[in-house]
Amino acid sequence: MTAARREPVVLLPDGLREHVLEAARQARAAGRPAPPAAEISPVEAFRRAADALDGLLCALSEDDWRRPALRGLDVQALIGHLIGVEDDVHRCLSGDPQVARADHIESTQPAAARQAGRPAAQTRAEWRRAAERTIELVQACGDMDAEVAVHGMRLPLGALLIARAFELWTHDNDIRTAAGLPASVPDASTLTLMTGLAARLLPHVAARTCPQTSVSVHLVLTGPGGGTWDIAIGQSSPEPPGICIITDTIGFCQLAANRIAPADLELHVTGDQSHAPGVLAASVLAAASALALD
Amino acid sequence: MSVTLPQTCLDDPVTDFPAPEYLTIPEHCPTSRGRASVSGVEATDALLAARLAAGDDHALAEVFDRLGPAVYGAALRILGEGTAAQDVVQDVFVEFWSHPGRYDPAAGSLRTYLMVLGRHRAVDVVRSELRRVARQERAFRLTPGQPHLSPCEQVTAAAAARVVRDAVRLLPDSQRRVVELAYFEGLTCREVAVAAGIPEGTAKSRLRLALARLETVLDRQLLETP
Repeated sequence: MTAARREPVVLLPDGLREHVLEAARQARAAGRPAPPAAEISPVEAFRRAADALDGLLCALSEDDWRRPALRGLDVQALIGHLIGVEDDVHRCLSGDPQVARADHIESTQPAAARQAGRPAAQTRAEWRRAAERTIELVQACGDMDAEVAVHGMRLPLGALLIARAFELWTHDNDIRTAAGLPASVPDASTLTLMTGLAARLLPHVAARTCPQTSVSVHLVLTGPGGGTWDIAIGQSSPEPPGICIITDTIGFCQLAANRIAPADLELHVTGDQSHAPGVLAASVLAAASALALD
Repeated sequence: MSVTLPQTCLDDPVTDFPAPEYLTIPEHCPTSRGRASVSGVEATDALLAARLAAGDDHALAEVFDRLGPAVYGAALRILGEGTAAQDVVQDVFVEFWSHPGRYDPAAGSLRTYLMVLGRHRAVDVVRSELRRVARQERAFRLTPGQPHLSPCEQVTAAAAARVVRDAVRLLPDSQRRVVELAYFEGLTCREVAVAAGIPEGTAKSRLRLALARLETVLDRQLLETP
């Protein structure tokens, strides 16, 4: 094939590289995926995640509801846990300060236990009503920037909804695993919000998991819902070493949901070898897994 | 519903997010047994394309460093002129950056994709230049007071014309005749039909076939240009 022929070496004119890269960035800003996912609101992301989970629950058999799913909970108790989470979110949105420091699992334990012996349809209906109630309360609030505090997190309401979408998707897959069903993947619009939230939370979590680490991370998440972020982690060094972490979006979300370990992630890391980029990346990925957005 | 997140990461790559006050996370820093390939990214074409799709401008720089000289060289051989070749290189890489999904790694290498893109762009430039020169010549014939082309323009046009004329010579006689009438003598399809003594529909169809063939011949010829 003629195209395989060796081309003679040609020197590029001075400045062409910079000129071309600048023109490209003007055509599409760095960081933005192509094609871009349709923009949706955090409410919509939560609604879609709830709809997806509801669809799954409707398809489960009675036996599936009794299968062990997570932390000693069967599927029905796991949905009970989600009912408990929605209840705490309702209390949070109603201004109850008690839920700010409540533990995510302990606080919902009674709701999980309450499901024992109930018909699965009742559990599903109660959870669905609770999720709908969350949407109603959020829409009544209207301000997605309003700061809310629940289960040890203080964050904007919009971010809370995205974190909740993260949680619903994660438990959706816990149930799928329990029932032997194939894994689900959120749509690109929802994933875009999820990855954006995880990327923004990363430096805050890293500050607690690895306070001594100072690194500039070029994070590239490939596939639908992905993107590229330059994240400054740590502030101890004015010019921190830079590393590039490349991995796929779904894997990163599973890591952020604490469903896979960094070791399970297919990834590429580059950086100045003198700064041990592998070690720096390990700290960053450990922080990502500590996000625990499940 | 309109939602305003506190400055998205896409707008500002450096995160600016209010610190969760009570965020509960493990105190220790777990070690990773990750399967990271630390020494360098295996720059497979599929991975590079995926990185570009994710908006990774570092990947674009890598692709440019690897293939920019080849694309520039190919454009330079076709156009014979550096400035136009640089424009082609910019078009090619901006196109690839803007629409990375148009490259299918299963269909061929990134090198081939960008080289073909570059050659097509360069040939487009040649064609466009030929049309421009032909228009100018016609205008000059009709309005004798018009100024001549500059020496530089004449050289550029002549070089481009030579490439295309060589390709036209390879066409079958019937097709070559309509191309010469339409493009080199500036006749309309109707005028071509009259001059060639064929129906207008036949003239159009021969012209269409000729252009399709010319494109193939030109591309192959350009690919094989040493």
